[in-house]
Amino acid sequence: MIDKFGRLKPVSWLLNWSRTYSLWYFQFGLACCAIEVMAAAGPRYDMMRFGIIPLPASPRQSDLMVVAGTVTDKMAPAVRRLYDQMPDPKYVISMGSCANCGGPYWDSYSVTKGVDQIIPVDVYVPGCPPRPEALMEGILLLQQQIRNEDIPDKWSQSDRLPA
Amino acid sequence: MTDIDARAAMHLSDASVSVELETQGMTLNIGPQHPSTHGVLRLVAKVEGERVMSVQPVIGYMHRGYEKLTEVRTYAQITALVNRIDWVSGFANEIPWIRAVEKLMEIEVPERAQWIRLILTEMTRISSHLLFMSSYPLELGAATPLMYALREREYVMDLIEGLTGGRFHPNFNRVGGVKPAAGGGSTQKKVSQDLPAGFFQGTREAMDRIDSVMDELDELVTGNEMVRARTIGVGVIPPEKAIEFGLSGPNARASGIDFDLRRDGEPYLPYDQVDFDVITEQTGDSFARYLVRKEEIRQAVRIVRQGIDNIKPGPLQAKVPRVLKVPKGQTYVRTENPKGEMGFYLISEGGRIPYRVKIRSASFCNLSILSWILEGALVPDLVAIMGSLDFVLGDVDR
Amino acid sequence: MTDSPPDGDLVDEAADSVEADAVETELEEIGFAAELTELVGASLWVDEFDTIRIYVARENWVESLRLARDEAGLTFFGWLSAVDWSTEVAVGEQVGEPDELIERYEVVCRLSSVTSSKGAHFFTEVPKDDAIIDSIVPLFAGAEWHEREAAEMFGITFVGHPYPLKLYLPDSFQGFPLRKSYPLLSREVKPWPGTVDVESMPAADGPSTTNVEAGDTGGDE
Repeated sequence: MIDKFGRLKPVSWLLNWSRTYSLWYFQFGLACCAIEVMAAAGPRYDMMRFGIIPLPASPRQSDLMVVAGTVTDKMAPAVRRLYDQMPDPKYVISMGSCANCGGPYWDSYSVTKGVDQIIPVDVYVPGCPPRPEALMEGILLLQQQIRNEDIPDKWSQSDRLPA
Repeated sequence: MTDIDARAAMHLSDASVSVELETQGMTLNIGPQHPSTHGVLRLVAKVEGERVMSVQPVIGYMHRGYEKLTEVRTYAQITALVNRIDWVSGFANEIPWIRAVEKLMEIEVPERAQWIRLILTEMTRISSHLLFMSSYPLELGAATPLMYALREREYVMDLIEGLTGGRFHPNFNRVGGVKPAAGGGSTQKKVSQDLPAGFFQGTREAMDRIDSVMDELDELVTGNEMVRARTIGVGVIPPEKAIEFGLSGPNARASGIDFDLRRDGEPYLPYDQVDFDVITEQTGDSFARYLVRKEEIRQAVRIVRQGIDNIKPGPLQAKVPRVLKVPKGQTYVRTENPKGEMGFYLISEGGRIPYRVKIRSASFCNLSILSWILEGALVPDLVAIMGSLDFVLGDVDR
Repeated sequence: MTDSPPDGDLVDEAADSVEADAVETELEEIGFAAELTELVGASLWVDEFDTIRIYVARENWVESLRLARDEAGLTFFGWLSAVDWSTEVAVGEQVGEPDELIERYEVVCRLSSVTSSKGAHFFTEVPKDDAIIDSIVPLFAGAEWHEREAAEMFGITFVGHPYPLKLYLPDSFQGFPLRKSYPLLSREVKPWPGTVDVESMPAADGPSTTNVEAGDTGGDE
């Protein structure tokens, strides 16, 4: 009845399960990868059947932030502020090679080399741009991670630092 | 403000207070994060009541430094980078770049490659305008066309991906033509099929589907009273202003300027061998811009159908040296991209890396009219006008 | 590009004074460029690779563009930018003949027509130590953003510009990125490996870099 973190199994299972299947991501499409996020939410690839609903336009009501596209130095403070506005527990998926590591613009004077320099990232989805199926695989990996995580530890992650 | 006062007075028939609306100016910051497909654009709007007094767009949140990056990349590497400028119409961005290089090297592109480029460019136009058709009604409040148009867009993406390997960053152009057959090159003698099996059949089916979905969207959106009330007469751009700001593409044609680089500009693809109409409207408002793009999809379908009928077998790429050195010279090539006129001014000093590349992007000039056009507009009209200009921030910021 | 037959008096006079047919045809073909140069009072023009370049003096910059717009029918504002001709190049390639290069900035503006395919690029030279030029915003309102971009990328001052603020770069940015002397710091930390073809799979013989394009291994950086 006690899971590996020392919490009550039915409680942690229920809370994790409900969070896994109701991940709401907030629409933070920056660049080309945003078009793939839209296609993933579109009729063919249909992310909504996993419970991932692209509804909230505000960070205050979302659990997941998919950073899709190039983060420039001008945009970086805004990204940080939006991340801080999200309520705990929050997750970040870095989508595409620009958000992972700077991508094809790694040597530019105005591009941040990866969004993990600003915010902590849970799942990296490589690709330029990653296909909608690749993004869905990233989300499924995140869902697996959520199902197996320790809730009190996750809720008190204010000391988590970016890479 | 007086007409607002009169209407307000009409409603408050038993009010005994004065209906002098005392408004206070406010600076409203819209963005950089906001739910729309355009991207990270920030508008600092001074509003008074419901009216926008002035708008200062702040751009640069997607500035990736393309012009500096082209000074440190070889010509082939730049081809892979360039299709990310206007990221909804990836293939169309490569064409002016590769034509500029081919012009300096004075290379003649084989016919089959030109036709494949034409077919792919028009498919990209369909894809870009379908994205406009899905996102513009969404901004006006209609959520259904989003799903219809995105569904059809997937078929076009399938075709482009089947041929080039990428959904919207194909990197399919090579100097002198298009990518030679998979597995081709000097080491392999056998030439495998370049257009994948079923391409023609798939294209015909996709074009038929798009024709029928355009009829559906016509019923849903074009005749819709709310869409018409929100867009007719809103955001009128007179043709002289359009020319002065450098507006091009569907935005200019909606104001009555009958200029299309496919027909009137320097020839870059065999558009003279296909039949198509150039759509213009005279009113210059948001509804006209919507109509022009809607009809351009139908014309692009026509061109694709003629393209797959006219294409003949032949080589896919002209002979180019392995290590690409472009002779010294300067040239400017412009093409009709879905967003407008896109051009590359290439300065080469000999060598494998260009000396300077100036990218003239359509959305940069299209967006520069924003502060002029939004003066005195109503706040709800702001979204309608911005959406109708159909810009993409990657194109604006490069 | 399609050239219409010249209809200006000046070119007709020039054509009358020449006898050979071949030269006359050549004059007809290059008629538009020559006519435009006479109109704006420039001294040098180049027409190659379907691109017309007209070099005007810095003092006549605004007046030349006004004449081109009002009398030559080039009403469409294409773009405005600058080129840095310099021999000290931090990243990228040198010019072809560095010894013969005069260091300067060239401000270039493209105007074209909306009734035909005519278009021209107007160049003016601005010395590096005195990088000031008049703004053409009174002529073309669309030049506002283009001039702001050229100003922040090259450090050129446009006199008379209504809002000389930065366009693309954050306010805290130091330096002028598109100048040839501006380095790309990421490349100094991690040099670009050059063009390497597909490496073979890490099998028993270990990684190998066969199929490398001749002369391409990191030679450019």
